[in-house]
Amino acid sequence: MSVQTPAVPLARARRRAGLWTLVKRHVLAAYALLVVGYLMLPIVVVILFSFNAPKGRFNFIWQGFTLDNWTHWDAILGIRPAIITSLEVALLATLVATALGTLMAMAIVRHHFVGRSTTNLLVFLPMSTPEIVLGASLLTLFLNTTAVFQLGFWTIFIAHVMFIISFVVVTVKARLIGFDRHLEEAAMDLGANELVTFRKVTLPLIAPAMLAAALLGFALSIDDFVITYLNAGATQTFPVFVWGIARVAVPPQVNVVASAIFLVAIALGLGNVFSQYRAAKRQRQGA
Amino acid sequence: MTDPRFNDPLTRRQLLRRAAVGGTVLSLPALLAACGGGSAASGTTAAATAGGKPQLKDVLNFSNWTYYIDTKKPTTFQQFQEQTGVKVNYYEDVNSNDQYFAKVQGPLSQGKGIGRDIFVATDNSRFPGLYVSQEWVQELDKDLMPNFANLVDAQSSPPFDPDRKFSMPWLSGMDGIAWNEDLTGPVTTVSQLFEDPKLHGKVTVWTEMGDTLGLVLLDNGDDPSKVTDESFNSALERVKTAVDSGQIIKFTGNDYVAPLAKGDYAACFAWSGDVAQLVVDNPKLHWGVPEKGGIIWTDNMLIPLGGDVPTASTYMNFAYDPKISAKIAVETTYISAVKGVKDEAVKIDPDAAKNPLIFPDDNILAQLHQNDPAMLNNEDYVTKWQEVQGQ
Amino acid sequence: MGAFFHRHRGLTPYLLLAPGILWLGIFFLIPLAFLGYESLQSGLFPNFEFTWEFSNFSDALSLYHEQLVRSFFYAGIATVACLLLAYPLAYWIAFRAGPWRNLFLLVIVAPFFVTYLVRTLAWLNILANEGPVVGFLQWAHVLGENDRLLATTFAVVAGITYNFFPFMALPLYVSLEQIDPRLLEAAKDLYASSTKAFLRVTLPLSAPGIVAGTLLTFIPAAGDFINAALLGTPKQAMIGNVIQAKFLESLDYPTAAALSFILMGMILVALLVYARVVGTEKLTG
Repeated sequence: MSVQTPAVPLARARRRAGLWTLVKRHVLAAYALLVVGYLMLPIVVVILFSFNAPKGRFNFIWQGFTLDNWTHWDAILGIRPAIITSLEVALLATLVATALGTLMAMAIVRHHFVGRSTTNLLVFLPMSTPEIVLGASLLTLFLNTTAVFQLGFWTIFIAHVMFIISFVVVTVKARLIGFDRHLEEAAMDLGANELVTFRKVTLPLIAPAMLAAALLGFALSIDDFVITYLNAGATQTFPVFVWGIARVAVPPQVNVVASAIFLVAIALGLGNVFSQYRAAKRQRQGA
Repeated sequence: MTDPRFNDPLTRRQLLRRAAVGGTVLSLPALLAACGGGSAASGTTAAATAGGKPQLKDVLNFSNWTYYIDTKKPTTFQQFQEQTGVKVNYYEDVNSNDQYFAKVQGPLSQGKGIGRDIFVATDNSRFPGLYVSQEWVQELDKDLMPNFANLVDAQSSPPFDPDRKFSMPWLSGMDGIAWNEDLTGPVTTVSQLFEDPKLHGKVTVWTEMGDTLGLVLLDNGDDPSKVTDESFNSALERVKTAVDSGQIIKFTGNDYVAPLAKGDYAACFAWSGDVAQLVVDNPKLHWGVPEKGGIIWTDNMLIPLGGDVPTASTYMNFAYDPKISAKIAVETTYISAVKGVKDEAVKIDPDAAKNPLIFPDDNILAQLHQNDPAMLNNEDYVTKWQEVQGQ
Repeated sequence: MGAFFHRHRGLTPYLLLAPGILWLGIFFLIPLAFLGYESLQSGLFPNFEFTWEFSNFSDALSLYHEQLVRSFFYAGIATVACLLLAYPLAYWIAFRAGPWRNLFLLVIVAPFFVTYLVRTLAWLNILANEGPVVGFLQWAHVLGENDRLLATTFAVVAGITYNFFPFMALPLYVSLEQIDPRLLEAAKDLYASSTKAFLRVTLPLSAPGIVAGTLLTFIPAAGDFINAALLGTPKQAMIGNVIQAKFLESLDYPTAAALSFILMGMILVALLVYARVVGTEKLTG
């Protein structure tokens, strides 16, 4: 009996494999879409109900479409100061934390010094401490030093910088590790001193990572509830405000502000996605 | 492997563009602040008016519970601003007496201010007494308060401030039981609330010890204004049993309101004014004082250290104008402590004036009791109460 | 000025570190020290005294061990759920999404941009007794007539899973994305089935992502209290709820401080065990 040529069973096997891969491919994509739906569901609900026109004070049954909530977003007492405080703290804290964190990242990656692993650990610790402990311990510090620190805007700012620094360090470190030192050496060979090199070579190259870290820090700050709640005293940020008003019912204006933050963030994100898509396209065409 | 995207340095143009975006975000709060909202910091003193009147600040910072103020324009705050030139920054950041106290005790204990001129605390908690005894609140300036005489007699001498030197009632309310007629028949006793199988898993009570245990004590036939270890423990046991059996599913602040209206809860302990506001959205809701009796409480305005006494006193005086108090009471559906409010309320809304929640008649008042301050101040009780809540 | 740095080259790292370390030292380490000090105090608010009160720890453990265990249990389930849900998604984005991958990454992170509280509150709407989800499940006879979704363990764990999903998905994606597809091709050339290729090549190479995601999800989840507060009953109370209540409501700072350290200690122990299994460099990077 002659040996059957492998072509036939192989072809059948390949076709079967093809069918199976096709199914798998689509199953995975279908799954991905389901998960995306699950992720977006509450967001859709939030945005949808920002356009609701409730008769009374409670916004959970759809009663009619209106743009009033968007035009009169600050009709709820206290919402405006809360969101302003949130934005101010986030901006300030992000700036300071990014600066401090980048410096630390540079030190850790580029220099070997005594205490390097301890520093690594110290940076890692806040990220691995539950927020309730971070907030509570900071509160303890502030309560014991009320001569210097009074609960309010600046204590919130301090707390936010504290927990953002670690994230900045980690993000920038990741970029610095892959950094090509030769570029700096080349600059210095061409006569630039260290400061100029830093300004003209290093900084632009790590800028994307710093920006990413800053955006992450900003998002963390705007969204933070637990640490802020414990250390805000009588001041309110937007999440603290929401917690307060959720004790009765969440008015549509809260949905409006939350949706607005979301849409701005998404717009920036989409802009970034789009510009990267274009950059990738350019690279493919140019290469 | 490094991401190839990172190898593209940001060109100066890209960096500038992104910085511009960042710059607009930076100016956003400034823009918002400029768009009509004032800054939250205490204002500078306004120019003194002629005739030796005291200098009032530009701004009054007022902390209160949520949904405790009128919202129909012109609001009473707007009217106050017109009359006196003082703008009110109103913060609805009191969610529970304990939590607010925890927020402010730090600075107050050091003699420092909290950024507020007026805040509010409920008399059926240990806090008004604590604030007064710790000297963390300032005396009112009665010279600026001719309307002080409008205070109803029943409120003229509370145990924590017998001479009304530090506090003035804001609004009063009642503790009772609310139910949703779609899900259950009338719930008129605490026993029914804790034991009716039809209500299983759809019942809530308050986090506030005075309110919840007050009603249970009454249901047990005990006196909430004179609590003993025995009566406390037996009331606590009843709550604990109901929690363990799954009958009670939550200890709430004001947050029973939406789920009750929605139908997530069938019946719960509820505050009188909340239900009145709920009926607009859901006419199937009812509220009543339990058969064995209910609790009445009063929220009080206090001036913390660092607050401006003349400005705060002027506001309090304004709030004791029967017309103003009537508007607030009618719109929040809570009980005012100002004489002559009923007549003014009729002018605003004849129906509201007949509302027993805002103007309870003597029958209802006879069924209402107050909490025992000693119970509220007992640390041991407080700890046990926290444990029942799983905390 | 450059010359100054040249001469004092050894100083540079310390100078660079100084501001950041100072900040963390003052506002992270010192507060922890204060917390430790407080955990050994006794007495009632506002008169606390330092009395080396180690019994605070044993008392806290005996009173609240239920909540401690429960927190780890819930966080664990939520972490596993996140892993199972996120892995296929991250895989798909890394290998199949092509030019759309950044868009999908944005989608993963999107929920993060709606305030934590607001998106958790939205679940109250979605899972309400009169809502569409419960209605559907009752129609499909998965839920009984008197059953509910809210105020249950399910709701709390589901909330935690939802809220920490990006923390798992993103590290998974990052490590999957770095896998060289040629390795998979090589495996297929060597007659591995897709499943085997996945198990022998992809999965092990994505291990750093799994580790990172697990940590970033489990640790904050263990200390969370918002999901339990909004979506659960007192029987679902986590240790975070106890700590915040002790700090803000009963004003029992010593017990609260002791509990905080117990929580931190338990997390550190879990981390050490995990690190032993997995290798320390992957942890601190």
